[in-house]
Amino acid sequence: MITAERKPIDEIRAMIAPYERVLVLGCGSCVAECAAGGEKETGMLASTLRMAAKMEGKEVLIQEKTLDRQCVKDFVILLDDVMDQYDAVLSLGCGAGVQAVAEMFSEIPVLPALNTEFLGETREQGYWVENCLGCGDCMLHVFGGVCPLARCSKQLLNGPCGGSREGKCEINPEVPCAWQAIIDRLDRFGSLDRLEQIYPPKDWSRKQGGGPRKITREDQQR
Amino acid sequence: MDSRIATERKEQAGKQIGAAQGRKRTLALFYCQNTPESGEEQRQALEKRHASRLKLFPIPCSGRLDPLHLLKALEEFAEAAYVIACAEGACRYFEGNLRATKRVDMAAQTIAQIGLEKERVGIVANSRENPKPLAKLAEEILDRTSELRPSPVLERPRRGKGTKEKKHDHSRKKTH
Amino acid sequence: MKEVSRLKRVLDQGGFAVTAECGPPKGADAESILKKAESLRNTVDAVNVTDNQTAIVRMSSLAACSLLKSAGLDPVLQVVVRDRNRIALQSDILGASALGIRNILCLSGDHQSFGNQPQAAGVFDLDSIQFVQVVRTMRDKGTILGGEPLTKAPDLFIGAAANPFGDPFPFRVIRLAKKVAAGAEFIQTQCVYNLDRFEKWMAMARDKGLTKKTCILGGVTPLKSAGMARYMKKKVAGMDVPDEVVKRMEGVPAKKQADEGIKICVETIQRLKEIPGVRGVHIMAIEWEEKVGEIAERAGLLPRPEEDAVGSKE
Repeated sequence: MITAERKPIDEIRAMIAPYERVLVLGCGSCVAECAAGGEKETGMLASTLRMAAKMEGKEVLIQEKTLDRQCVKDFVILLDDVMDQYDAVLSLGCGAGVQAVAEMFSEIPVLPALNTEFLGETREQGYWVENCLGCGDCMLHVFGGVCPLARCSKQLLNGPCGGSREGKCEINPEVPCAWQAIIDRLDRFGSLDRLEQIYPPKDWSRKQGGGPRKITREDQQR
Repeated sequence: MDSRIATERKEQAGKQIGAAQGRKRTLALFYCQNTPESGEEQRQALEKRHASRLKLFPIPCSGRLDPLHLLKALEEFAEAAYVIACAEGACRYFEGNLRATKRVDMAAQTIAQIGLEKERVGIVANSRENPKPLAKLAEEILDRTSELRPSPVLERPRRGKGTKEKKHDHSRKKTH
Repeated sequence: MKEVSRLKRVLDQGGFAVTAECGPPKGADAESILKKAESLRNTVDAVNVTDNQTAIVRMSSLAACSLLKSAGLDPVLQVVVRDRNRIALQSDILGASALGIRNILCLSGDHQSFGNQPQAAGVFDLDSIQFVQVVRTMRDKGTILGGEPLTKAPDLFIGAAANPFGDPFPFRVIRLAKKVAAGAEFIQTQCVYNLDRFEKWMAMARDKGLTKKTCILGGVTPLKSAGMARYMKKKVAGMDVPDEVVKRMEGVPAKKQADEGIKICVETIQRLKEIPGVRGVHIMAIEWEEKVGEIAERAGLLPRPEEDAVGSKE
């Protein structure tokens, strides 16, 4: 899932200040899972912004709505009927959602209420960790299901670096050393010898080579 | 608008505004149904006794509380929105009261960010050995929140463009 | 005259090598590094120049090495993979060789969050082991990564760093083996305070045949104070400072602690000399370079073999 966190309220208020009719738009997918932009959070933000507006004596229409997903055109298009009621959209989608809405309703400013962060998992309730970089050339089968690019602070393919302490990364004692995890995992499988070979430099062109990436599937299209 | 005024002036201003608008100060109280003497009859009697000063919302456990409930209450009618929970260790569902505490805290942080006093929300845990009845706790909380200046959210009369239409009728909040 | 690596010569001839470290200035002045280096002349076989160590912006290692080279010293160019992609790294290798620099140490580098530019993007296009391999291939096959030929191959003595005290234990020697397999001809270790543990690591390295394929230089750092000993014990990742060492520093009045630190350093070097497979010592007296001479003297490392003497044995 994609994780995000809500921007500070002050920043959001400054963003919507020029507008008089704002749609606060939530998303029921990834950002709901990380409690940043789902229906509840959207309701809370809208209520908070309305209270702030009242306190300032500002007359502004702030209404909320939540889509199942903001990053899929078929859902975004459902807003077509109501969009002329607003002069701005405050989206609680991830960056992909904000842009998809902006793409469909290009005459109206679509503002991001969240800071999109990383691709990751819900390790525990209320705790999300980054685990994928989207490199386009997955090697998780080699490294025992632990990604040395996303989870090692130095992106070492031939780690560890020697700076770890008690299984934690040298840059931050709260960050587990990915290479410790890889070694433990492969040791358990009896495949530690796999790490004796030298893994060659990563092909970053699969990530950056052609600029922003796309996928086209003829068999999926109409 | 958001300047802090001294206590005496606060009271004066409060009285003036209250008198001018004839507006009552309402406390929204979300209480765990496990609280002694908090059945439907007692609730109605309490609301009658305090008239518009008090609006009571029963919930099956304080853990059912969503920060949104508190915000909506403050947005629409309440000077303050409080939660009554069971004592630590006495929650029938084990952790409901602990979760409620975190959520009330979150609501407090949120309203502080727009300049509202954190004391407009709060949670009161009942005593473990001698749990107090709802009426007593309600009175204590009314007392505790009486010093708050009139809510700047509610002060200005609504004109023209309003807010989202109420989907929920807060006067008779259903428990689920 | 063809440039040669003095360090390589000393090791090839079976000598016990001595290297020291020198940090470039946080400014554009050539004077300070030349001054530091002057105190090391005839005291060491080669001088390591650090590369934006701890991710703090300093004069580039390549430029500083070039200055030292012009002053007649034999620099070891330290290169971290944190700040440059493969294009820049290979380019710098060619430049270094063209400037007459003949030694390189390939490192990962401290993470950018440690330094004074924590908002920088860490590059990490290659890791240190891949980098060793790239340099080796450039030198021995005359090609860059991908196989395209160079007009002239660089001439460099290739080294890597090793930490006998960091890493998950079962992995330490495997990693060393990887560095050697990648082409590391000399290894400089993290500074040693725990000699027992170091000896165990050396034993494992010998068992794996690594001491025959590479020259291991044990690192040492003189302690300036008991406070420094405590700090390094607690706060520096990958460091092992035994309690006895801390106690020894603490057991001496403040004014005498620096002397005690030097004493411990000298004793460490003497013990390192006794360990089979240890081919030299790397003295890292950061911001205390003036003491290297004294340490080398007291440890019986001076005089260093003369240039001619080195040449005449061939």
